[in-house]
Amino acid sequence: MRPFTYIRPATPQEAVGAFAEAGEGARFIAGGTTLYDLMKLTIERPAHLIDVTAVRGLDRIEMDGDRLRFGANAAMSAVAGDPTIGRDYPVLSEALWKAASQQLRNMATVGGNLLQRTRCMYFRNGGGGIYPCNKREPGSGCAAIGGLDRGQAVLGTSEACTAVSPGDWPVALVAMDASIEVLGPAGSRSLPVGDLYRLPGDTPHLEFTLGPGEMITAITVPKTPAGRLSTYHKIRDRESYAFALTSAAVALEMSGDRVEGARIALGGVATRPWRASEAEEVLIGHLLTPELALAAGQAAFRDARPGRHNSFKTELGARTITDALIIAAGRGRT
Amino acid sequence: MSTTAFPNRARVDALAKVRGEAKFAADLVLPRTLYAMTVPATIAKGSLSSLPVEAALRVPGVVRVLTPEDFPAPPPYSEDGPPPPPTLETIIAYRGQPVALVIAETLEAAIEGAEVIRPTYVAEAFACVMESAGAQRQPADEVAFGDAPAALSGAAATVESTYDSPTQHHNPLELIATVAVWEDGALLIHESTQASSLVKGAVAGALRLDPARVHVRGATMGGSFGQKAVQRQTALVARAAILTGRPVKLVQPRAQIFHTATYRARTRHQIRIGADADGKIVGVQHHVEQEQSPNGYFAVSEYHRDVIRMYGIRNYLGTGADIRLDRQDSGYMRGTHPQPAFFAFESAIDELAHKTNRDPVEFRLANDTRVDPQNGHPLSSRFLNECLREGARRFGWSRRSPVPGSMTASDGSLVGWGMACGIYQSATTPAIATLRIDARGHTRFAISGHEMGQGMRTAIASVLIQDLDIDPERLEIALGDTRAAPQHMTAGSWGTNSVVPAAMQAAQRMRAAVADLLDGRQVSGNLHRKLASIRRPFLQVEVTTVGPGQDQAALETLRQGGFAVAEAVYPEFSTFSYSAHFLEVRIEPRTRRIRVPRVVSIADCGRVISPRTAHSQVYGGVIWGLSHALREATEIDPRYGGYLNEDLADYVVPVNADIGEIEIGLIDQPDPLANPAGVKGLGQVSMVGISAAVANAVFHATGRRIRELPIRIEHLL
Ligand SMILES: Cc1cc2nc3c(=O)[nH]c(=O)nc-3n(C[C@H](O)[C@H](O)[C@H](O)COP(=O)(O)OP(=O)(O)OC[C@H]3O[C@@H](n4cnc5c(N)ncnc54)[C@H](O)[C@@H]3O)c2cc1C
Ligand code: SF4
Repeated sequence: MRPFTYIRPATPQEAVGAFAEAGEGARFIAGGTTLYDLMKLTIERPAHLIDVTAVRGLDRIEMDGDRLRFGANAAMSAVAGDPTIGRDYPVLSEALWKAASQQLRNMATVGGNLLQRTRCMYFRNGGGGIYPCNKREPGSGCAAIGGLDRGQAVLGTSEACTAVSPGDWPVALVAMDASIEVLGPAGSRSLPVGDLYRLPGDTPHLEFTLGPGEMITAITVPKTPAGRLSTYHKIRDRESYAFALTSAAVALEMSGDRVEGARIALGGVATRPWRASEAEEVLIGHLLTPELALAAGQAAFRDARPGRHNSFKTELGARTITDALIIAAGRGRT
Repeated sequence: MSTTAFPNRARVDALAKVRGEAKFAADLVLPRTLYAMTVPATIAKGSLSSLPVEAALRVPGVVRVLTPEDFPAPPPYSEDGPPPPPTLETIIAYRGQPVALVIAETLEAAIEGAEVIRPTYVAEAFACVMESAGAQRQPADEVAFGDAPAALSGAAATVESTYDSPTQHHNPLELIATVAVWEDGALLIHESTQASSLVKGAVAGALRLDPARVHVRGATMGGSFGQKAVQRQTALVARAAILTGRPVKLVQPRAQIFHTATYRARTRHQIRIGADADGKIVGVQHHVEQEQSPNGYFAVSEYHRDVIRMYGIRNYLGTGADIRLDRQDSGYMRGTHPQPAFFAFESAIDELAHKTNRDPVEFRLANDTRVDPQNGHPLSSRFLNECLREGARRFGWSRRSPVPGSMTASDGSLVGWGMACGIYQSATTPAIATLRIDARGHTRFAISGHEMGQGMRTAIASVLIQDLDIDPERLEIALGDTRAAPQHMTAGSWGTNSVVPAAMQAAQRMRAAVADLLDGRQVSGNLHRKLASIRRPFLQVEVTTVGPGQDQAALETLRQGGFAVAEAVYPEFSTFSYSAHFLEVRIEPRTRRIRVPRVVSIADCGRVISPRTAHSQVYGGVIWGLSHALREATEIDPRYGGYLNEDLADYVVPVNADIGEIEIGLIDQPDPLANPAGVKGLGQVSMVGISAAVANAVFHATGRRIRELPIRIEHLL
């Protein structure tokens, strides 16, 4: 446990300025549910914490115009519990409800959520110094490959890392073509949520595309009628309070039983929130039957590269998509 | 013996617990306390080559670093039982073994100090899982009667299978904690323990102290179940208190607890069982292998004890082996030996019933026994068939369609109804108790025993309040305190049946003593008022009780803080508790999540003294059994040793949403022989058999027989 400084700026500009001033070793902190955890595990050793929770107006949920806009500091529980979101975009509220626990969701922010780090056990456990891990110690190797890899990814993996991107919310956002607004030393910009995440490649320690000192200020989601016919279906080792083994965010546009538009993204199986366009293509223009839904699910895993203990994820993942499609389509009938 | 039912009294510590007032060892804050943090070994086997502590001493607030040099050499080998756990040593026997203890003014400084210590090691090859090359296989003693191989060769039907139950770790929310105080040449240890006298002996032995100067005070316990007997860290913390002259507190991080505390060994059971044409079991062959540390003494033969007595088995051949591994000692964990053994055995029974086209309940009912199959002695009480019939009735078993896969729910889920039985020995320990009632309204009862949340205090209170006219608000029950009474380890479901008879006898003796004192005078009011009226400041009685077949020698062992258990195969009879579990699983048609919407569990624990806590015991047992079947497994990467899923996020235990309806029934018939209170054990038997009931239900739902735990989605895709 290393000493660190702590400040609590009141505006986004102050926060970004403070970060630039603190330099190396600075970190933003919001709900702290990821960062403090990683500090206790000695994975993160920040020298300066810039707490953004006092930044004014950063927790607003706005629904005017053609986009939903969630301030980065909005609590997971606040967005999940919003009745309009629950009705018009169940995929968004379910992705939040099915994550963590109520206590954590009350603390955790929708912005911090995007930057949580993998739950790969070899990355988190052992106190450092036991398991080789390219993410933790670049170039040290990867203990998960050839090890106890039941929880590891089957899509988007590399020879250097197979760690799953753990978040549920980013998966739903990627399905819904969401973007983030970012403020940094060089001003503000926006980027699709999907572009926030890197594939591990040879550099699994580089996970996000944010520049140093860039702060997420908001998440925006284009409004769409597909939101109504949507779901976040999450399969895990227990009924709640667990990360996904496999999950699927699905939103549909239907004309009767025919699929006009489909958005599918996957969690628990890939090294980044995974848009499954192969699965979407199988569906478009066809009548949605359980058989077709399964074929779509299987298409999503065509390029899967399972390890020793996680090959079940391809079959389970395909079936998860199947059920998610049936659930989402069913919402049009009630 | 009075046979009136005991009232459904609330737990005596219920309010304190829900208000957060109960003090656990980690809650204790004494003036001038120093905080400790251990440095765990990062290799799985070998020796320390250097242990530089300078960097730690430079951390502001660090006061001292204890290393192996700060400890006396281990005590010489003694016949009297297992040696105390090692202290700090230069030989590394397993990954995570503590090699140094940092003592600091704050917890933060202690953690930082521990983090900067980077020992160097000479590493050696190691074996840490059963399959590891170099794991030593050591055959265990045979347990046999009759001629099982011959009987099985003549059986009308046999089944033979191997069942695997994983390594599992205790994970109560409460972290293991010790506070040690050295004052005026005496050591006082505050610890969450179920064996304060053994802790006392172990610390005295390890640190070469006069046991008379070591005292142990059991704190409120947040879950024990076998984890909290003699613990690895106690002597380390005690030594730090002695060397610094200040109170020292250690709360172990969960990841370290995985590596230092005892755990449930992985076991593999190979079972061959056969029945004759009438469906009577003719013989059982049961070979069991378990993980064992290099010097561990955890007996393999005990996997047979309860299996032998489950049914009328005439021929039994029990064999086994230890697989010696470079790990810390395994140990007791609720339902210890029968828990995995009955996953195997009661699965095998289900397989045999299925093979012979018999209903699994009928099959079991027909294999009842009135005598202990091993020695022909009577079973003092056995209401297994009552448990089976009552469970079947409440569950609605007669509506079960026997063909696997033949029941489905309206949402397409596969429905499986399964059942299994459990058994656990009802052992007894001697007890020494004092009961003191004073004229100012206070009552104090002190006895050997530990409140682990199982409700011992509530059971004793039930008896004393029922039998004595005292002020219940001011009844103090001193447990787990070596200064209050000689202490015996509380474990193995021998708690209530060992202390309740002593409480009853003490109450009786107290009433007689009061009558003697009053000598026919009519004095009004409760006992406190009566004593006040006749100007007696207090009245105290002492009682001693022993288990069947025990004598004064057992009491002497208890006084010495030793181990004096009368095992349930008593000289003239055997006493066991029984359970029968019925449950429903629902399995999703596609994604194959397994849910358990309802359980009916019926137990025969003799007479029920405290209905509320008895029911709680069974709830807890059922839930943990479901966890054993569907959730828990410790993961070990054989390349590195140690435990990979060393926290509560990765070591999966059930959450509330995993638990459906649980209906509990207790037969509540006194045992006529085991003790005057008619009580038998309940804690363990309530868990034994649940995991087999789950596997049997999964088979009924799907036609797939899963013989390894935990049963997960991937088994059923
Ligand atoms: C026990 C447990 C179970 C969990 N289960 C799940 C689960 O099932 N599914 C799931 O999806 N998640 C789960 N989580 C993760 C949880 O959702 C995240 O921890 C949480 O969303 C992070 O939000 P926070 O505000 O607490 O982030 P913090 O911990 O404060 O920050 C996280 C990261 O984001 C950075 N950061 C924070 N805010 C900003 C900002 N505005 N701009 C730039 N950077 C920022 C921080 O520097 C840090 O690197 C679980 C967490 C725990 C502890
Ligand atoms: S999978 Fe990635 S995070 Fe896990 S051990 Fe390998 S490199 Fe580290």
